[in-house]
Amino acid sequence: MTTQQTGYRWIGQSMKRVEDPRLLTGRGQYVDDIALPNMTYAAALRSPHAHARIRSIDTSKAKAVPGVILVMTGAEAAQQTGPLPCFASPPVTQYCIAVDRVRHVGEAVAAVVAESRYIAEDAADLIEVEYEPLPVVTDPEEAIRSTGDAVLHPERGPNNIALQRTLTFGPVDEDFAKADVVVRRKLRWPRSGAQPMETVGALASYDDATGKFSIYANTSMYNYVGWLMAMSLKVPAHKLNIIPTMAGGSFGSKLFTHKVPILAATLARACGRPVKYVEDRIDNIMNCDNHGSDRIYDLELALKKDGTMLSLRMTVIDDYGAYLQFGVGHHGNALAQLTGPYRIKSAQVSLTAVMTNKGQQGAYRGFGSEVNNFAVERMADAAAEALKMDPVDIRRKNFIQPDQFPYKIPTGNVYDSGNYEAVLDKALGMADYHGWRRKQHEARKEGRYVGIGLVSCQERSVFSATEFWFWNHEPGFALTSSPDSVDIKIDPTGKAFVRLHAPFWGNSPETVATQVLAEQLTIDPVDITVTYADTDSGLPGTGPGGSRYTVMIAGAIAGAAKEIKEKMFKVAAHLLEASESDLELRDGRVSVRGTDRGMSIGEIALQAHYFKLSLPADFRSGLDARYTYDHPYTTLPNADRTDMGVFYPIMGHMCHIPIIEVDIETGQIKFLKYVAVHDAGTVVNPMTLAGHIRGGTVQGIGSALYEHYYYDSSGQLLTANFADYLIPTLMEAPENIEVGHVVTPSPYTEYGIKGGGEGGRMGAPAALASAVEDALKPLGIKIDGLPIRPVLLREMIREAQQRRTEDGAAEDLQGPSDWSGRSSREHLGGPPGNAER
Amino acid sequence: MEQEKVTVTVNGLRYERLVEPRRLLCDFIRQDLGLPGTHVGCEHGVCGMCTVLVNGQTARSCLMFAVQADGASITTVEGVGTPSKMHPLQQAFWEKHGLQCGFCTPAMLVTALELLNHNPTPSRDEIREAISSNLCRCTGYQTIVDSVEHAATLMRGGV
Amino acid sequence: MKPAPFSYVRPMTVEEALFALAQQGDEAKVLAGGQSLIAMMNLRLLKPRCLVDINRVAALDYIRQDNGTLAIGALTRQSAAETSPLVLQHCPLMTEAIQYIAHRPIRNRGTVGGNLAHADPTSELPAVAVATDATFVVRSANGQRTILAADFFVGHLTTALRPDELLTEVRVPPWRPAGQGWSFMEVSPRKGDYALVGVAATLQVKDGACQAARLVYNGVAGRAQRVPEAERALVGRNADEAAFREAASIASQRVDPHSDFHATAAYRRDLVNTLTRRALAQALARCGKRSA
Repeated sequence: MTTQQTGYRWIGQSMKRVEDPRLLTGRGQYVDDIALPNMTYAAALRSPHAHARIRSIDTSKAKAVPGVILVMTGAEAAQQTGPLPCFASPPVTQYCIAVDRVRHVGEAVAAVVAESRYIAEDAADLIEVEYEPLPVVTDPEEAIRSTGDAVLHPERGPNNIALQRTLTFGPVDEDFAKADVVVRRKLRWPRSGAQPMETVGALASYDDATGKFSIYANTSMYNYVGWLMAMSLKVPAHKLNIIPTMAGGSFGSKLFTHKVPILAATLARACGRPVKYVEDRIDNIMNCDNHGSDRIYDLELALKKDGTMLSLRMTVIDDYGAYLQFGVGHHGNALAQLTGPYRIKSAQVSLTAVMTNKGQQGAYRGFGSEVNNFAVERMADAAAEALKMDPVDIRRKNFIQPDQFPYKIPTGNVYDSGNYEAVLDKALGMADYHGWRRKQHEARKEGRYVGIGLVSCQERSVFSATEFWFWNHEPGFALTSSPDSVDIKIDPTGKAFVRLHAPFWGNSPETVATQVLAEQLTIDPVDITVTYADTDSGLPGTGPGGSRYTVMIAGAIAGAAKEIKEKMFKVAAHLLEASESDLELRDGRVSVRGTDRGMSIGEIALQAHYFKLSLPADFRSGLDARYTYDHPYTTLPNADRTDMGVFYPIMGHMCHIPIIEVDIETGQIKFLKYVAVHDAGTVVNPMTLAGHIRGGTVQGIGSALYEHYYYDSSGQLLTANFADYLIPTLMEAPENIEVGHVVTPSPYTEYGIKGGGEGGRMGAPAALASAVEDALKPLGIKIDGLPIRPVLLREMIREAQQRRTEDGAAEDLQGPSDWSGRSSREHLGGPPGNAER
Repeated sequence: MEQEKVTVTVNGLRYERLVEPRRLLCDFIRQDLGLPGTHVGCEHGVCGMCTVLVNGQTARSCLMFAVQADGASITTVEGVGTPSKMHPLQQAFWEKHGLQCGFCTPAMLVTALELLNHNPTPSRDEIREAISSNLCRCTGYQTIVDSVEHAATLMRGGV
Repeated sequence: MKPAPFSYVRPMTVEEALFALAQQGDEAKVLAGGQSLIAMMNLRLLKPRCLVDINRVAALDYIRQDNGTLAIGALTRQSAAETSPLVLQHCPLMTEAIQYIAHRPIRNRGTVGGNLAHADPTSELPAVAVATDATFVVRSANGQRTILAADFFVGHLTTALRPDELLTEVRVPPWRPAGQGWSFMEVSPRKGDYALVGVAATLQVKDGACQAARLVYNGVAGRAQRVPEAERALVGRNADEAAFREAASIASQRVDPHSDFHATAAYRRDLVNTLTRRALAQALARCGKRSA
């Protein structure tokens, strides 16, 4: 499966995960599993209104319920706790409980602390709130024109535009003037979200003897920007300790979840007892601060007749919802791979970010770049169609070639390495693409609608810091660092202790750390233990996200291991009376090269800890190191933002080929085959990487076909539970996602690793749109929006059929009369799908 | 608040507690019995995170009151196996990467256990049917099916 | 997301249950499988003052047949009915329909009687009951009555049951001995979700001609809806694709479904049309057989 360089003992092994034994036996210690003596439980009262002034809140009945300890309104909370952290510039004010005004349904208007969550909810039911409804805006295009009371944050300006800016990279107008063809398309990417199986939670306590908070939380980035939570809580940073817990999935959504820990801490300080606040599912859907992108694109692609892509123009409206915690970082992210894998020479993006009465955006696996992939790949398909070219050929024609790396794209970002044709060819072979084209042709004769999708997408990995602010007119806090750290000690018995400074959130950081350290020190993985630092003991740690943590851990461990090796060599050289340059580390021993004289790491460690007087005078006891690894390649943007600098150069790539069949009578889609070939550079653990690819692909299928946070015009979220927000079950997933790898190592990272954590979600939505459009080509149907729900697809098919009927050609559009009696397996050799159950 | 006496056997141990009638079985197991391996995901019966075996049959513990389990025998993930003595199912999930974040895993394990108890040689389609009751957001499910299939082999003495 | 408080009664016999219901009146809800009720209580959409838990009334948990009439006790778990050879023999339509109810863990708890008494219009069993002319045995402290399925379902989550009454048994009349064909088909957003549209179809054919048919839909109205006009279009005609198309077309015009987020009325009509045709084709293929 993998064709990477050999010579490694542990890198590249599908090692069983170190994390698993406790997760498999119910000992995960997720945040809701932690209990403290005297613990209390909180619940929030959610706003039923999308936009309203809070006239009054009467908490007296709630306070009278036996077992209630505290009832707190937003105004009361704001007396103790300031606004939540916000990376937008200028910031948008948000509190942990709404103050004076609610801006989306589900926003907390009061919180109750009680002896049990049951009692807290009983009391929340008894809080009486008087609202004065305000005009509601849910349509992003309408939001651009909002005035008066429909403006969500009047202190920020007279309208709902959060940011409007056009960035131009290269000679766009000239390139469009040179074009033979301009392909135009309007696309809609709807709001969906991560919805990990575990919601966000925190268990906070406050010690008034020391004036210090302790918060168990399933948040991330606490060793990067955790001190911002202390600022919100109005305590010095050393008076807040954030203790990470294992997270039951994140997919970006727990990147920096600040509201829940701050709310729990605020309540704990006020009531003097530990407070656990864990979102229930409704909270997590309505009020999690982590909805995904919600965009309308107007796209223009300029091409030569022969299919050469020249220039890309994008006009984007993005509906950010009611707050703006990460600014428009998602659009910064998209600039990393704005022009995809193609040699497009110039590009322009006009962004209008708007605020509406919806939950705010956060991070969701792709952070905006998965949407950009959708846009670029839809345009590649549209161009192929306009030029009557094969979708494979147009891609091949425009690929950046292997000898062109490092390759600078128009935005200024650099792609480190790649071989896009190798990925494409591997995928075409695995999918039997040409064979399926023949089968598709046969199927069409039978009135069956088989579609073959194909996308070739980028997966930029290892985010740095500039993307968060370089879109802003006023950059704000223009940080440039995004490091990660480890500290490692070898104890006197020779066992290795690794401490990570960012959490587990469903990835495999302990396994990665173990494999890399085993490789570095030539020790057995069973001799390594991995733990997680809290903020009290934390070193700089940006943490997972943007497919970065494997690369960053590897860099940090290699750095720390180097220092440990130097110390070991110093000890060994002294005791073996040899020169350090004659020593080698192999199989857990430091030996004099070419002899049998040597010491095991355990023997060296014992000496290093207890026998100071046997060692060189300048030797400091112990055998440990800490290392902070900076992002390997970041440069600043220029002043006029015609070049954003290098900020996301570790460039993965993927080709996805789904083969599907549409039941045109029901609009349902089933999978016949799914192939995903990825290049994530050197692979540390093929098994876990394949896990990200497959899991991400099914999430992408969710985004493409099922999931939608759908707000009606009054701002009610109609899909606010798991019966309506449709996460794919096993039956909606392809039976077999066939995974392949191509390896082009990164020149910038340890071992040449590239990130792969965002996996299939970067490509699957575009691939599904491509497949469905391909299936329905005989009907002339275009897929310009997601999710492609059966009801919408059937509507398009019905309209197409009516058009054809009017043209007198309806006969061939009828599905096969005996559809129900046969499965596609008999016909096409594919696995059974889900249309028939 | 009125309390009812509940006597249950969980993972072979007998417990007796007083509970409010409205107390959900999932909260009873997690909080009152101190067995947090059973997780809670949606509390409206869709996601399957809280699945346990009640008298050998899968049930959503968010859709049962603890009082209803009076006299019942319950199996949770803690009763399936321990790190030092894993059940073949746990071993198989470990080997086949049937988990990532691990949050759905306890429910997947007991759901698979119900299947394998009734059908030691399930087909992949039968495994898919059984597992489809539980959501997983990480794996894409494929390796979970692989894991259950492998567990069936292990339980028959294969490798 | 926790239920509001309630008082709890756990009768061991039908008589005790009826007594409790008579005492509590409309303050009480019967707790059977609870798979819909408890979810609604967790969401606090329902806050009953009292739950009468009939799960220990063992006398209501049975599946019997008497001269071809299938009698299912109200407390029979759906998974028990699903795997019952008696049900498969005497009402294969029900066996097939139950597989569309959510998932195994839900069916392990959910009961046949509870499903019917809940009267969710998207649910499968009400359509089966109407399609098979089932009768419901209903008891109260004052006595017993039987209600025809067609009269039992009144509207959305509403039945002819009075607050003091308990559904105790469902009786399905003898399956046509000559062997009628049957089919249950459904489209839902995902596997196990509430139906957008489902159809319970039965068909009797002799010498190639339709003698009788039943077409009953879930998901298209406030209750399971039979469409006699579509059935009549089949009777006396050759059981073939043309007849099925016509019946399907009539059914899709006769129903008056609602629109919601998951499906428009037009889409539901399309599904009625398609599912009717496909279900009749499958029913035809099964004519003369006892089970699938």
